[in-house]
Amino acid sequence: MRFSIILRYVGTVMLCVSAFMAVSAGISLWNNSDSGFYPLLLSSLLTLLLGAFPMLFVPKVNSITNKEGFVIVVGSWVLACVVGMFPYLIWGGEFSLVNAWFESVSGFTTTGASILDDIEELPQGMLFWRAASAWIGGVGVVMFALVILPSLGTNKMALSNIELSSLAKDNYRYRTQIIVRILLVVYVGMTVVTLALLKVAGMRWFDAVTHAMSAISTCGFSVKNASVGFYDNIWIELILVGAMFAGSLHFGLIYATFTRKANNIFRSEVVRGYIGIILVCSICVAISLFAADIYPTIWSALRKAGFQVVSLISTTGFATADTNLWPPFAIILLIFVSIICACAGSTSGGIKVDRALLSGKLLVAKIRRQQHPNAVIRIRVDGVTQENEQLHSVILFVVVYLALLLIGTIFGTAFGQDLMTAFSSSVACMGNVGPGFGEVGSMSNYSDVPVILKLKDTILMLMGRLEIFGFIQLFFIKSWR
Amino acid sequence: MKGIGKRVTIGFLSIVALLFVSGMISLFELGNMSNDTEMILSASRRNMEIAKDMLKSAGEHSSAVVHLVVFGDKNYEDVCRRSISNLEGKLATVRSEATDASRLDSLAFGIEQLQHVVDEYMSAPVAPKHEVADSVAVATVGAEGVMVADLGADVAARSGKEWYDTRYKYAYNELVERIQSFMTHTHSVLAPRAEQLNKNAYRSVAPVFISLIVMIAIVLMFYYFISVYCVRPMKKINRALSDYLSFRLPFNVKGELIDEFKELSDNIEILIGMSKQQDNINKK
Repeated sequence: MRFSIILRYVGTVMLCVSAFMAVSAGISLWNNSDSGFYPLLLSSLLTLLLGAFPMLFVPKVNSITNKEGFVIVVGSWVLACVVGMFPYLIWGGEFSLVNAWFESVSGFTTTGASILDDIEELPQGMLFWRAASAWIGGVGVVMFALVILPSLGTNKMALSNIELSSLAKDNYRYRTQIIVRILLVVYVGMTVVTLALLKVAGMRWFDAVTHAMSAISTCGFSVKNASVGFYDNIWIELILVGAMFAGSLHFGLIYATFTRKANNIFRSEVVRGYIGIILVCSICVAISLFAADIYPTIWSALRKAGFQVVSLISTTGFATADTNLWPPFAIILLIFVSIICACAGSTSGGIKVDRALLSGKLLVAKIRRQQHPNAVIRIRVDGVTQENEQLHSVILFVVVYLALLLIGTIFGTAFGQDLMTAFSSSVACMGNVGPGFGEVGSMSNYSDVPVILKLKDTILMLMGRLEIFGFIQLFFIKSWR
Repeated sequence: MKGIGKRVTIGFLSIVALLFVSGMISLFELGNMSNDTEMILSASRRNMEIAKDMLKSAGEHSSAVVHLVVFGDKNYEDVCRRSISNLEGKLATVRSEATDASRLDSLAFGIEQLQHVVDEYMSAPVAPKHEVADSVAVATVGAEGVMVADLGADVAARSGKEWYDTRYKYAYNELVERIQSFMTHTHSVLAPRAEQLNKNAYRSVAPVFISLIVMIAIVLMFYYFISVYCVRPMKKINRALSDYLSFRLPFNVKGELIDEFKELSDNIEILIGMSKQQDNINKK
């Protein structure tokens, strides 16, 4: 393995991160040089130096190996999180070393969990940096570098193949160069549209930009302590529901829908399943809220329930209500959607509807096979027959995912968390959702979580973001030389 | 970028620049912190001094009033006026430096009240002020804890004693209380500033610490790159050349070479080729 090549490519990603820090510093400067300017500027310069240094020595290469690609992707994520905590650390306030690491990982992995008791105390530049880190992370730090840097040449394919999961690649029937372009168009396009709509709905510019970035990246970082509930505006909630939903769909399908291709949103079995889960869960939660007399009318219950269900299933984590106060039936449904989560090829985390659908089909196939032992039963999604290899990896993923949730819960309870907090925080971090229940509910935060558990949560976030195997693989690369 | 010399120079300059920047940052932050500390300490010291002077002036005023009322000593009118003007002067000094001047209104009111009470007494048409002296003396000394017999008093004396006990003493105590509250407030204001200083101290260490970590990373990378792109190629060329010279093995440098090292390797190969040609010519 050529370590110098890895450094060069990771350096490229650092340059992207540095550019966003510089933009955040610019926003601080524009906002009367608020207290975020100096930490952001310094962090940007240090990251720039760190990223540019390998380029001084390491020449361009024509090809990278699979092993190198894995180290570049995982290394880029981890290093982006490390340099991402520089502005928080320099700014100080509530950011201790572990808190800064938590906030940075939470941003880049688009989890949206925060350790901040008072978000509104942060200067605008720092708030923008939080949203920007989520926006970069939403599309994937390496994909982001691929999108904006043409100089990577043929290595784009190798890196994008590693960054995108096999499920995510399914709906892309294009060359790598075009996939990267689709990502750029869809991601930026959706962010701009959401921003414009939020502005029209009455948000001020800064709030609209940060919320649009946060919603499309399905991160859920808000600039208000009360999250979206602060605005108490039905139009803002509807726009954000639309944005969160769009951000949680396969980008290839969105592109295909707008370019009138056959494999579009309306024909996708996965999207139909996804919409079905949202509708059923929203209605069930709304009825339980209305029956428990938490909201006076069924419409107000539906409004709150719909927002929370879309927010959690899309792994965004915005909140308009304190879900800790909801009845157990509503809570268990919300935990269910936090585990299933959205579609592959989107900015969301979790098991994903695609895998849930395949698991369900596998179960049906197993029952049929027991009834008709000689039958040849094929499993199809959107008319495409799934290979055994693919099905095997789906089942393995689901099993490992649930096992990690269990380990996370055991770990949490071992360090004094109650069962609900330990389980829901593991679910929320592993699925990159953000808010859980108990002490880490939708209207509270992770500030009181013990340091060791904050570190555990960040590992779960990274594992969830890198779809488990990508992260684990780094520790099992046989030869580093 | 081409040329190993250029690469090394830029790498070295980057490290120097980072060193310089982190040094400047630490100087800047430490300077800020030192200024803050100095400001807090000097503000504390100055406020203590001012409060002490004010208490002294109030005490002087009180004893001057006693002299004025007990002995009818007109000279103490001046002392009274001087101590009031001292109090007002100190107040003006504090007001000019205070960030929140509204806080000092209570102190100003205290001084004004004391002045007003004395003015009221002086301008009252009570002639035998000295006759009330004994009863006032009893009141004053009695307040200090010395047992003194009540000498009895006439109407005027009673009115003087009453004035001192009810009006003046009340105004005096109020003023002293306000001065003390000013002192306490100074301390309560200093506490959050000291806390801020604590945060600043953290903020002044964090950039230096982060710069240091980045610098260590860059130095390690520099060492690694120098080793990979300069030292190792040089060793490889040297070994290949030694192998050629000692055992007549073909000059073959394994691995990728860049810049002058590639040029050097190519030149050596050309030289070996020329030498072989010369050998062939000599043999013929």
